[in-house]
Amino acid sequence: MSNAPAGGEGPGFGNAMPLTTKIANLVISVVLIAIAASAIAATGDFPKSMLAADVGAARFPIIHAGALIVLCLILIANTLRTPTAPAATGEAPVGIAGYAGVALGMLATAGCIVAMEYVGYGVATAVYMAVIMALMGQRSPVWNPVLAVGVTAIVYGVFHYALQVPLPVGSLFE
Amino acid sequence: MHEFDLLMNGFAMLAANPLALFLALVGVTLGIIIGALPGLTATMGVAILLPFTFGMDPVSGLLMISGVFFGGVYGGSVTAILLRIPGTPAAAATAMDGFELTRKGMAGVALGTATLSSFLGGTASIIVLIFLAPVLAGFALKFSASESFALAVFGLSIIASISGRSVIKGLIAGFLGLLIATVGMDPMDGFPRFTGGYTELFNVPFIPVMIGLFAAAEAFKSLEDPKVRLGMAAALGRIIPEWATYRRMLGTVGRSTGLGVVIGIIPGAGADIAAYVAYNEAKRFSKTPENFGKGELAGVAACEAGANGCTGGALLTMLTLGIPGDAVTAVMLGALTLQGLQPGPLLFKEHADLVFTLFAGMLFCYVGMLVIGLGLLRVMGRVLQMPKSVLTPVILVLCVVGTYAINNSLFDIGIMLAAGIAGYFMQKWDFPASPVVLALIMGPMAEANFRRALSLSGGSYDFLYTRPITVVLLTIAILTLFLPLVKRWRSHRAETRQTGAASSLNQA
Repeated sequence: MSNAPAGGEGPGFGNAMPLTTKIANLVISVVLIAIAASAIAATGDFPKSMLAADVGAARFPIIHAGALIVLCLILIANTLRTPTAPAATGEAPVGIAGYAGVALGMLATAGCIVAMEYVGYGVATAVYMAVIMALMGQRSPVWNPVLAVGVTAIVYGVFHYALQVPLPVGSLFE
Repeated sequence: MHEFDLLMNGFAMLAANPLALFLALVGVTLGIIIGALPGLTATMGVAILLPFTFGMDPVSGLLMISGVFFGGVYGGSVTAILLRIPGTPAAAATAMDGFELTRKGMAGVALGTATLSSFLGGTASIIVLIFLAPVLAGFALKFSASESFALAVFGLSIIASISGRSVIKGLIAGFLGLLIATVGMDPMDGFPRFTGGYTELFNVPFIPVMIGLFAAAEAFKSLEDPKVRLGMAAALGRIIPEWATYRRMLGTVGRSTGLGVVIGIIPGAGADIAAYVAYNEAKRFSKTPENFGKGELAGVAACEAGANGCTGGALLTMLTLGIPGDAVTAVMLGALTLQGLQPGPLLFKEHADLVFTLFAGMLFCYVGMLVIGLGLLRVMGRVLQMPKSVLTPVILVLCVVGTYAINNSLFDIGIMLAAGIAGYFMQKWDFPASPVVLALIMGPMAEANFRRALSLSGGSYDFLYTRPITVVLLTIAILTLFLPLVKRWRSHRAETRQTGAASSLNQA
């Protein structure tokens, strides 16, 4: 779990922060504050503990959520105090196409999970694999389906036969 | 010596289990390949393969995971030396002299030195683990609820030191993990907290969260730019260094191994810190320090011995105290849980045979790593040419199917996806994922033991300051939490005085 030693080796902003990072910090902080506040509100419905000496089910969630709110407020304050810098000059920035690829990949994964319930592992995974390969540039009309079906079959073989783990059949085929 | 007898018994049990030996070698091979491929880490490899161990016997499953761990730490040095692209963070130190040796036409000898040093460092660290673990476990058996609470708080306090550039973001990730860890059944009253009526959330499965944060998030990041392909590797020539040359480096290897073991024991300090510290010390003790950074074999030997020396130390705290020494051992803790084993002192009391069979297997893994590592070097060039357009989809499929295999639950895959999406954005905006995992593991332990200790003391908080072990652990925890913050504040002040401007350190 170690990270770079304290001292920071981030991009060479000096004492400034790119606008995109500032916006991200603020949005993430606000979202987390909302989550933490909701958690504190939800603890109002928790029953008191049956043990007289116990602090109850709500105490620790309130402590964690409270600390999260305080830390997010500190992050907001630090972010607003830091001057804005031009975009980082290190790595090439990710373009719209890159983010679109990531978003589509995430959606495809969600689609695979939903599809698996109805059509089962085989169909859902082969299509999912083909979609992800296409997103990453492997669009050959021969190799894309061959690899998709091949990998799906190998993974099925390993899990179903070697590890004795049943994979979903799908409600449409049950 | 009792441990020696148990170890010999472990070797005998291992010899009678050829499947475990085979899977150990499979794990080592996969670990070396995963470690060598940039973008894939030992943590990711262990996370992806973890569900595979569900159907295996405990020894086979845990040895396969251990093999991936050991192979992964070493594997990063291959691309570091050949292409100056570290396969793992620890290999970044190896790249400094390793690639310079490649430019001089000594790629093979550099790789051979790295392999031998990894083997020696790792094997020595496992031997230390074998003889130190029962001592530490025996000490930990004296712990009651209050000491266990203090230990969990100490484990959580390392969040400050694993936070990377921004301690605030690391603490935010940690407390978010603590909040998520409260989802599920309350440990004392059995009341479902924040479950929204979903019975699947009565026990939040942290393995899908780990697979999502470490494996799926990296795979989503690969979708940003699929066109990256590695360059061709250099011709290798001779691989095994001459004995006269390597003999002169044995002192460096020994010192680096010792440093690695000590650093590995410290929770939160991993192979990358061990590699850099070992490199610095090797340079300091060298008669020719000016050669470091220009292709010095001792530099490569120091980094690899230090990094692999870390593995035994990291496993020591995980197995004896249940506190993961680094991200990989955090995921390995999941492997133990999957097998129905609870890491901690009782593991040595109730499953001593299993533990020492595991230790014997780990020594076998390192021997396997030496043989397979040397054998794979010549074919590694072809392996590294595997396009991301095939590798990334395979990783994602393994994440999906592997997560399903844990509980036969599509809900778990949804949790994995949510964690993967969160992990992707966390990576993007410098929020570290390791504190979340640490909090998921240590948070429930801290809460349950605190409330138990409070009940045992009749509602009095005096257990926090009257029990010596508790006081010592809590004091160390406070120091561990605040020292990095104080260090950063002091360097910030020093920089401000020098430049007259605000520092970039601890920026948000």
